[in-house]
Amino acid sequence: MNFLRGVMGGQSAGPQHTEAETIQKLCDRVASSTLLDDRRNAVRALKSLSKKYRLEVGIQAMEHLIHVLQTDRSDSEIIGYALDTLYNIISNDEEEEVDDVEEENSTRQSEDLGSQFTEIFIKQQENVTLLLSLLEEFDFHVRWPGVKLLTSLLKQLGPQVQQIILVSPMGVSRLMDLLADSREVIRNDGVLLLQALTRSNGAIQKIVAFENAFERLLDIISEEGNSDGGIVVEDCLILLQNLLKNNNSNQNFFKEGSYIQRMKPWFEVGDENSGWSAQKVTNLHLMLQLVRVLVSPTNPPGATSSCQKAMFQCGLLQQLCTILMATGVPADILTETINTVSEVIRGYQVNQDYFASVNAPSNPPRPAIVVLLMSMVNERQPFVLRCAVLYCFQCFLYKNQKGQGEIVSTLLPSTIDATGNSVSAGQLLCGGLFSTDSLSNWCAAVALAHALQENATQKEQLLRVQLATSIGNPPVSLLQQCTNILSQGDKIDRRGSKIQTRVGLLMLLCTWLSNCPIAVTHFLHNSANVPFLTGQIAENLGEEEQLVQGLCALLLGISIYFNDNSLESYKKEKLKQLIEKRIGKENFIEKLGFISKHELYSRASQKPQPNFPSPEYMIFDHEFTKLVKELEGVITKAIYKSSEEDKKEEEVKKTLEQHDNIVTHYKNMIREQDLQLEELKQQVSTLKCQNEQLQTAVTQQVSQIQQHKDQYNLLKIQLGKDNQHQGSYSEGAQMNGVQPEEIGRLREEIEELKNNQELLQSKLTEKDSVIENLKSSQTSGTNEQSSAIVSARDSEQVAELKQELATLKSQLNSQSVEITKLQTEKQELLQKTEVFAKSVEVQGETETVIATKTTDVEGRLSALLQETKELKNEIKALSEERTAIKEQLDSSNSTIAILQTEKDKLELEITDSKKEQDDLLVLLADQDQKILSLKNKLKDLGHPVEEEDELESGDQEDEDDESEDPGKDLDHI
Amino acid sequence: MAYAYLFKYIIIGDTGVGKSCLLLQFTDKRFQPVHDLTIGVEFGARMITIDGKQIKLQIWDTAGQESFRSITRSYYRGAAGALLVYDITRRDTFNHLTTWLEDARQHSNSNMVIMLIGNKRTQSAFPWTGIICIYSHKLTSLSAIFENVDLESRREVKKEEGEAFAREHGLIFMETSAKTASNVEEAFINTAKEIYEKIQEGVFDINNEANGIKIGPQHAATNATHAGNQGGQQAGGGCC
Repeated sequence: MNFLRGVMGGQSAGPQHTEAETIQKLCDRVASSTLLDDRRNAVRALKSLSKKYRLEVGIQAMEHLIHVLQTDRSDSEIIGYALDTLYNIISNDEEEEVDDVEEENSTRQSEDLGSQFTEIFIKQQENVTLLLSLLEEFDFHVRWPGVKLLTSLLKQLGPQVQQIILVSPMGVSRLMDLLADSREVIRNDGVLLLQALTRSNGAIQKIVAFENAFERLLDIISEEGNSDGGIVVEDCLILLQNLLKNNNSNQNFFKEGSYIQRMKPWFEVGDENSGWSAQKVTNLHLMLQLVRVLVSPTNPPGATSSCQKAMFQCGLLQQLCTILMATGVPADILTETINTVSEVIRGYQVNQDYFASVNAPSNPPRPAIVVLLMSMVNERQPFVLRCAVLYCFQCFLYKNQKGQGEIVSTLLPSTIDATGNSVSAGQLLCGGLFSTDSLSNWCAAVALAHALQENATQKEQLLRVQLATSIGNPPVSLLQQCTNILSQGDKIDRRGSKIQTRVGLLMLLCTWLSNCPIAVTHFLHNSANVPFLTGQIAENLGEEEQLVQGLCALLLGISIYFNDNSLESYKKEKLKQLIEKRIGKENFIEKLGFISKHELYSRASQKPQPNFPSPEYMIFDHEFTKLVKELEGVITKAIYKSSEEDKKEEEVKKTLEQHDNIVTHYKNMIREQDLQLEELKQQVSTLKCQNEQLQTAVTQQVSQIQQHKDQYNLLKIQLGKDNQHQGSYSEGAQMNGVQPEEIGRLREEIEELKNNQELLQSKLTEKDSVIENLKSSQTSGTNEQSSAIVSARDSEQVAELKQELATLKSQLNSQSVEITKLQTEKQELLQKTEVFAKSVEVQGETETVIATKTTDVEGRLSALLQETKELKNEIKALSEERTAIKEQLDSSNSTIAILQTEKDKLELEITDSKKEQDDLLVLLADQDQKILSLKNKLKDLGHPVEEEDELESGDQEDEDDESEDPGKDLDHI
Repeated sequence: MAYAYLFKYIIIGDTGVGKSCLLLQFTDKRFQPVHDLTIGVEFGARMITIDGKQIKLQIWDTAGQESFRSITRSYYRGAAGALLVYDITRRDTFNHLTTWLEDARQHSNSNMVIMLIGNKRTQSAFPWTGIICIYSHKLTSLSAIFENVDLESRREVKKEEGEAFAREHGLIFMETSAKTASNVEEAFINTAKEIYEKIQEGVFDINNEANGIKIGPQHAATNATHAGNQGGQQAGGGCC
């Protein structure tokens, strides 16, 4: 304070001496008086003096006033006066109005004063915090001056005050509460305070947004009647712009909060011509700018496109297009609307397609694009509007191949409307291109260039365009007509005035010819073109012609750089020789450099929007500056390069191609071998599989054979036992242990029965012989007259004998019956034995009952023998099968061996080819090195070098990796 | 786009614990191994469904650095939920939780739901894993194994400790991995569920937007009747 008093004291001395004393007295009263009323009166007196004696009051009273703010918080009146006084000494607003007539110097001084007092005030950070806490006071007399004071502090020393508010807890949040104040004055001044608070401070902008600022501001705007609202709407819009401009996080929040949808009603401007007040125009202007902030080409691409999408989905774009086509819209609003629509559609296909479909409400309806282009090539339209239309057209075509195609197609012979009823975009562009208005020429040329931007197809299509110049003359191609006008324009005495025409046409031609060798050939085909260009460049013309010379040099450079040597007379080499002879390389390069050195060049390269303060500034197009940047270096290199180097380069290219071919050849070979390998692998695996199957079959069969063998052995042992019993067979099947005993028993029985029978038979024969004897003796006795008694006795004897015989006979019968029974039983047993013999495992208990003869057993044995034979046969068959399988196995083994050798061969081949490849790689590396050095040389010499080669080598490495893997796999097999 | 409720969240915690990664994983479902330091705050948003209702989450990811502390404090008041994050492989980030919690309690509204999150930030110790992932996809699985093995050995804060801290201070707790996205959804959704329950219980004043809760556009109109229904529903819930 003392320091300031020392510096500024001089000024306050003199006539104001008494005032200074008064102020001093008042300050003393404020400082020392114990009565509140007294202090309050003193502060009020200071307030009344503060406007007139700003400096004095400021110097002497500030300290005391701050003290009042600290200590007298309970009395809102004195606080209010103190805040008012502080506001008066710090703010410059009132001064400016008062000092309107005074010299600028004094205004400057008062501004310094404000900032100096601000500096003093904020030196103590607590002062700002104190002020913030006072703003929580609801009393109008405190809050309102508090808001105004803080606003002017922010206006004076924004960044510093912002920093203090930022670090004071809840500082920003408290200020946000002002927007909710029911008293409009405070709310409105709150908006102004927030404007100053958020100016270029991203952190504060984000906090304000977080505190629901968007919601509140949009509410205020709609409450106030959108664009029809007063200055409050304007203030809110400016605040919104502060919050959103260059703040991606807030833009994202705005979009995510669905606030874009709430912008749509802003543009529902009635067609009823309710009048366009200045305020409404201002409001709409700001609203349109706010839309543009969200879709600015400088935003991150993703952010812009998501906003563009939202704007289409909620109908905002459609709403803007209705304004575009409405009548009675003031020109500046219309211009800004066009600019806004441009940025809403720029590079976003859906919106671009929609825009192409918009029709003007005329009869018959015309596409909006056509209507807009009509204004662009109309001399009577305002310059800014024409620029806006051009921007709109550029944005429509930006990254829109479909749109580019549609525009160019309106020029092509097949699609031109023969009736000529409706004007097409292409016709308008051609009309503009060849009209007498140089601005139309420029705009049409640039517009057409944008239809060709990065679109090789359309560059070629446009070559087909033929123009009918006048009746009787043959049609001329568009390219031809452009060059004609260019050369005529030079001859006619309109030099300078037509600079836009020539610049426009040259930019169009440069865009057309770049990256399009066919167009270059077409251009060179006209033998007048090259002499014209060299003439232009070589001539020593004034400064105003330097730009045209530069553009001519660029065009000539493009014709060299994109020349495919298809015209014998205008090969690269010849053109370069021409430059050297007629112009001189150095001169040529210098002229080429004129373009980027032009003062308007950097201006145009900054933003896509063609924004020219006046028609004289309309020289460069943004996209064209990009092209120049891209081509200037490479053309310079191409020109400086000697023919030898050119040849070398060609050779290098050729060898490169050759090497590429070789490499691709080997790549193919490797690929084929890979395929072969794969096939062979598959074969091997299938064979393996088959082999395994066969082996399992073999093992199965072996085990079966083993089983049979076991069975056979078992039978053999049984048979051996049987043989021991029988002793009659050297070989036989083995029977189980139970049977032989039984058989033995049965045999014994049979033996017994036989003996019995023999006994009975012998008895019978004995009896028979006795009977015979008796008979013979009887007959002889009768004959020799034997006595009747003897004969009676004899007959009795005979009867007895006969009876005996009968009983014997019956006995015999019964015995024979028994025998037959036994025989049938034996038969049964035999059968059973047979069954038993067939099914070896099942042993018949059935046999226990049977007593049979030896034949029976023999039969069984024979049956067993037969079975054994059968088994032998089976074994034989199985062994045959086995040998067959062995053979098969052998054959498959051999195929495997063959495959193995084949694989080995292939491996060898692979290693060979790898070696070859390695060699090639080494060769390639060498070549690469060479190429690199050559490239470097080329680069040094100004020849552009494609970077594809590097990609190639990358592929090569990939190939290596792949070819190694199958090799490894094979090793495992 | 229509939502029943809108909740504002903040993510707080020491620098480098993976706050931004959590947000990115939740909003974009992707993981960025190398992330710039957050300057001030960054915004993200996503829609979720709770109880059949669409809920929009607006999330402010704050810078953990001390120098931004005063700025980030401004965000406490207006948030309905906070994710307080520490790194389970860095004890110091766990030790600082008390300071964070005090800060949050002091500046936020008393009903703010705080979810404690123990995040796994494995990538910081393996800056090369990302590179390997890019150059050879074959090695990814290998590095994943490395990390899993490594993680437990590098863990400095036990899960039980986090749980105990949460219990003590009345927080919800969860361990997450922003890299593998494990539990990330759950962390955000469970916090929202808690807020939603508080709304149902009538703890939050939903008409005061300063609490970080907003009723959706179409719900605002029917809110009066809706609130009446809610009472009925709650009574019914009591019976069950």
